[in-house]
Amino acid sequence: MKEGNFEERRQKTWQEFDELVGSLERRKPMPGVSELPRRFREMCADLALANHRMYGGQVVTRLNDLVIRGYKMLYRSQRKGGESFMRVVLSDFPAAVRRDWRLFWLCNLMFWLPFGVMMAMAWIDLDWIQAILGPAGMAKLEAMYGGEAEQLAYFRSEFGSNFQMFCFYIQNNVSIDFRIFAGGILACLGTIFFLVYNGLMIGASAGYVTYACNSESFWTFVAGHSSFELLGMAIAGMAGMKLGLAVLKPGRMTRPKAIANAAKKALPLIYGAAGMTALAAVIEGFWSAQALAPSIKYSFGIAMWVLHAAYFLLLGRGANEA
Amino acid sequence: METARNRLDTLQPIELAEGVEVRLRIAGPLPRGGALGIDLVIQWAFILLCTFIFSLTGVMVGALTAMGFISLMWFFVWWWYPVFFEAGPWGATFGKKILGLRVVQTSGSPITFGQAVLRNFLRYADGMPFLGLGVMGVPTFGFGIGVLVGTKRFQRLGDLAAGTVVVYDKLPPEPTVPSPPALEKTPPPMALRPEEVKALSAFVDRAGLWSEGRRVEIADHARELSGSKGPAGVSRLTAMARWLQERK
Repeated sequence: MKEGNFEERRQKTWQEFDELVGSLERRKPMPGVSELPRRFREMCADLALANHRMYGGQVVTRLNDLVIRGYKMLYRSQRKGGESFMRVVLSDFPAAVRRDWRLFWLCNLMFWLPFGVMMAMAWIDLDWIQAILGPAGMAKLEAMYGGEAEQLAYFRSEFGSNFQMFCFYIQNNVSIDFRIFAGGILACLGTIFFLVYNGLMIGASAGYVTYACNSESFWTFVAGHSSFELLGMAIAGMAGMKLGLAVLKPGRMTRPKAIANAAKKALPLIYGAAGMTALAAVIEGFWSAQALAPSIKYSFGIAMWVLHAAYFLLLGRGANEA
Repeated sequence: METARNRLDTLQPIELAEGVEVRLRIAGPLPRGGALGIDLVIQWAFILLCTFIFSLTGVMVGALTAMGFISLMWFFVWWWYPVFFEAGPWGATFGKKILGLRVVQTSGSPITFGQAVLRNFLRYADGMPFLGLGVMGVPTFGFGIGVLVGTKRFQRLGDLAAGTVVVYDKLPPEPTVPSPPALEKTPPPMALRPEEVKALSAFVDRAGLWSEGRRVEIADHARELSGSKGPAGVSRLTAMARWLQERK
């Protein structure tokens, strides 16, 4: 069959398909939309035929364009936001953390080891802490935690800034999680850097405050959100390490393939880490600075750590692991 | 030969589940850089505008609340704006939309939300190394560009991890200006292979773009087929192409 014959004979079908897809693209589906799959297969057959018979550029380009447009409509991902959100929270996320329990402990170690060393340094050799925090950082900590136990709470309620601090924590801390994850693709280096760096900074601050300031005002403040924030950071680290390990050790796959696979598996970890850090911001913004008795704050903090242990140990045992 | 051509060409053949091959035109570093530039301008403009508005309303709701809104908006504009737009029906941020680009899976289908998250969060790694201020400085996109030009389908690190490519949304039509119509139709003297038929019709479809001299020069390569040189060869080829294309 000649190109002209072919074009003339199929012209009408193409036109109809064009209109059908066009109506879907404008989100006003016209009647007969259930015909789309059949019509799409017809278009595919036409394109294959035109390619095979080496018809001229215009016919093939036109068919190619129509098939791509139809494909986009037919293979749109269905949004089932609520359902998949619950699935990530209730099973995918804790299951993903459990599956990579070695990475979980490794990332925690990368944070807590520098943290512990810096804490100890407050008593052993304060020069280390001075080197890390710098005079400005130390002065700031003293201003925040230096005096009365309720100083922080007092400032907060005075200026009604709970909401502002909440927003700031969201912006700052969740961004840190995302950077920890993204840095992982550089053969784990970015992730390791951020985890150790945060361990050193937080450890030095905690050590200095405990040593030189009013330690109760600090520890009561951080107790409530510590579990969300620090575990969230470690889990963002897990996601980054997964990417980095795929770069370093792709196994029997090509590197791009291994990276893509690891990224897919890291996805629930990122969602979870971001969610935990956002919750941490809620607590840090609206709870941690409230003027409550230290015993209440400490027990709330401990309860949250226990809750996390239960969450990661118990949830999502089922379909995924059976 | 076939693979060598595919390697050079930015037309990426992709086989669909229906067994047919479509061709996607992969976008190179230049249009993508342009799209990123437009996006950055939009993001900054939006942030500045909102900062301005919030500072005005700050008088009413309190300065600290306004500052809170600003940092929250900063977070969403910076991390989530590209995610939501690329996962949406456009499949593209404003910048990409303006330049006619679109993000698709390597299989050609629209990307999922998870893929949009992956490719956009990893932009941070693509932006390295940073100029000044360690990890918070100005991104140079050295890694992104390096990986982009090193991969077959112009993928940066984020694209590799998410399994996505950036393509032209609509293939620009190849310029065709048909030659002056032939007066006659001649059957070719021998049976032609499909590739030869294609070459012949491409020649006629584009002949109007060239000068007479150029037409002759090209037609002379096919003088075995046309059996004559010079302008006569051109008209012989045109006549054959008409015979092949037109219905009887």
